[in-house]
Amino acid sequence: MSRTLKGPEEELSPTLQVSKVSESVEIERPTEVKDIPPAKLSIRNLEAWFGTKRALKGINLDVRENSITAFIGPSGCGKTTLIRCLNRMHEMTPGASAKGQAILDGMDMYDAKVDPVTIKRRIGMVFQKPNPFPTMSIYDNVAAGLKLNGIKDKKLIDDIVRESLEGAVLWEEVKNELNKPGMGLSGGQQQRLCIARALAMQPEILLMDEPTSALDPIASSKIEELVHGMKKDLTVVIVTHNMQQAARVSDYTAFMYLGELIEYGDTKQIFENPRMELTERYISGKFG
Amino acid sequence: MPRLMDLGISSVSENLSEMGNMAQRSLQIALDSYFQNNRSRKKVFELNEKLRSLEDEVGDIATEIVARYQPVAKDLRFIRASMEIAYIFWRFGRYSYDIIDTVDELHTGLDCNKTAVMEMSSFVLKAMELSLLSLRTRDETIVEKLYELDSTVDTLYRKYLRGTINANNKDDWKVHSRCDICNILILRYLERISDHACYLGDCVSYLVTGLSSPRR
Amino acid sequence: MEKIQQEKANLKYQLQNTMERKSSRKRKINKLVTILCIICVGLAIVPLGSILFEVIKNGVSALSVEFLTQRPGSMISGRGGIGPAIQGTLITVGIASIIAAPVGIFAGIYLAEFAGNGPLPHAVRFFNDVLTGLPSIVLGIVGYIVIVLVIGSFSVWAGSFALSIIMIPIVVRVTEESLKVVPNSIREAGYSLGIPKWKITLHITLKTAFSGVLTGIVIGISRIAGETAPLIMTILGTSLFFTGFDDPVDALPLRIWRLASQPYDSAHAQGWAAALILILIVLLFSVTLRLLAARKGFKVRVIRYSNV
Repeated sequence: MSRTLKGPEEELSPTLQVSKVSESVEIERPTEVKDIPPAKLSIRNLEAWFGTKRALKGINLDVRENSITAFIGPSGCGKTTLIRCLNRMHEMTPGASAKGQAILDGMDMYDAKVDPVTIKRRIGMVFQKPNPFPTMSIYDNVAAGLKLNGIKDKKLIDDIVRESLEGAVLWEEVKNELNKPGMGLSGGQQQRLCIARALAMQPEILLMDEPTSALDPIASSKIEELVHGMKKDLTVVIVTHNMQQAARVSDYTAFMYLGELIEYGDTKQIFENPRMELTERYISGKFG
Repeated sequence: MPRLMDLGISSVSENLSEMGNMAQRSLQIALDSYFQNNRSRKKVFELNEKLRSLEDEVGDIATEIVARYQPVAKDLRFIRASMEIAYIFWRFGRYSYDIIDTVDELHTGLDCNKTAVMEMSSFVLKAMELSLLSLRTRDETIVEKLYELDSTVDTLYRKYLRGTINANNKDDWKVHSRCDICNILILRYLERISDHACYLGDCVSYLVTGLSSPRR
Repeated sequence: MEKIQQEKANLKYQLQNTMERKSSRKRKINKLVTILCIICVGLAIVPLGSILFEVIKNGVSALSVEFLTQRPGSMISGRGGIGPAIQGTLITVGIASIIAAPVGIFAGIYLAEFAGNGPLPHAVRFFNDVLTGLPSIVLGIVGYIVIVLVIGSFSVWAGSFALSIIMIPIVVRVTEESLKVVPNSIREAGYSLGIPKWKITLHITLKTAFSGVLTGIVIGISRIAGETAPLIMTILGTSLFFTGFDDPVDALPLRIWRLASQPYDSAHAQGWAAALILILIVLLFSVTLRLLAARKGFKVRVIRYSNV
């Protein structure tokens, strides 16, 4: 298992980097040009289906490294489908399929040669409802990904479990009851346990699908603070139906409607001065 | 169905248009009292007080809207602009009061040469009129015109100031008249009003386009 | 406008009125249904209770250490015991469950996790249901033809084979159903960690459904422990202790049947006692398995962090 560490020699390039694979495609780029981090994940012409119903109609978008990107939009706009395409989880649903490109550091994860299972080791995911493994203790929940992927070094696992729980700001609350069942925690704690479980795999990107929709406001704001703190180590993509949450937590915001990307840009710009009428109407609560 | 936020926004809107009318009226009254030698200080003072309390009220409602509804996009820009616009209107009122105060203090028992003030006030009234129009119609293109008027006003002010100084330099400083002081002060206030009219134009431009124009 | 207001008020009045009138009736109906339910529960429990009562009343007198350990003696004397029958049941049922449990569980896993909804799994499910409903004597005949005739003697193998065929569909069905109630979000959590599907199924999904699967096994074992018909065709029954897997053995249901068909009172008393023992064995087994499962729930591993 290699830990991803970013050394100072990897200077972030201030200019937009478009992957060679798709120079022809026009990219939505944030309008207020400041120091834009390089693209960690480039989505090109991504389409997704449920059976014969097209849920995504060709999405092009660059997810920026070490930043938080939020997908917003009314129910059924495809934001959850899109995020589930980013670790090839979408196609696990019976009848669902996806095509297009999602280029992670130059490697297209939709390439035929790529194993969808290994992709998920590099891209973690947190779900709408907290879903710790019901039969496992807190410790085992965090260690499950490592153990079931063949890591046997007990000391290493112990270290990573602690590190991940600390990363998910849960360590102080559970350090004396690591052997208790994960299901015994409160909803907010369970969700942080799930985050710790994802962090244990040392992901480069963390996908969060409405991670606070089942939580109360206090637990939600804890998750938000946590997410904000995580971006120094990894890239976060978050789907939310709470626009204020997107405004609070994200650096970039993508607004989707009916399976299309309507507008993508700097969060401040999207919320203060959206360019598209549709975005304006949605975020000011005039429809949706 | 109107959103809850719309109630607050429309009350801010009403307050602003009332303030605009009051600001315009108070400047008119202040200038008239100079031109026609009548005394309306109390009226302008009352208008000024009213403007100040309305400015507070706009600030309160705006803050409440932000706290309660977290406005975004056009709503957010309107809230942000409305606080600045309310302040500008209050400044209008305040300068009008300063004008009438100056007239009261210095112009009692005199009949000065009012041509300079007359000349400049026509531009300033025009600028104020235009700035209010741009707010009413949300026409951000008017801001260009406002800056043109402002530069004319600036030029006039400088010209009169220099003229007065030069005239007084020839003789003894002591001889400069109360009229000169009175005129210069009034012109100075008018020049400030013209500046604020430009700021109002800037606010409208931000409100419509979302881009804050660089202070010129 | 006023008319509408008036009508609304009228409607409200009527609604309240009817509700008041109906509420007393509703309460009565409510009570009636509750009583009916209690009666039905009683009807279901009474036979069970009376059977247990009869079995204990008639059987206890014949119980002794000798009875549990000795070979059957002469039918008239009332001496001797059911030792070989207890031994035979444990061996036959044990082997049958060792065959049936894994086969049933894996087939259930296949149906629930891997098969989907195509024609093949559909057919498998259908035949599985048919198999569950098949008369057990038919399976005895199958055991007789497939094994007894081939190796030339009644045997433990044949009996275990026949019993496992009875048990497998039960385990398959229950395993499939218990796996299907495991929320999909649990599997997705596993996928999202890059764990291969087979590992998720074995280590996460199956573990989550474990108590359900265990129930299936308990039901299956209880069912085959009491089967008589297929055993007549396969292990035949004997009064000797176990002599080898290729030889006939005795079994409790068979022994009960033999004892009951005798004309002597002493044999009948022994029959009742044997029935009591069979019930106790099934009960004991079921309770033990549940206790074991409950204890296994959370493995305790002490983790020490030096600087905590």
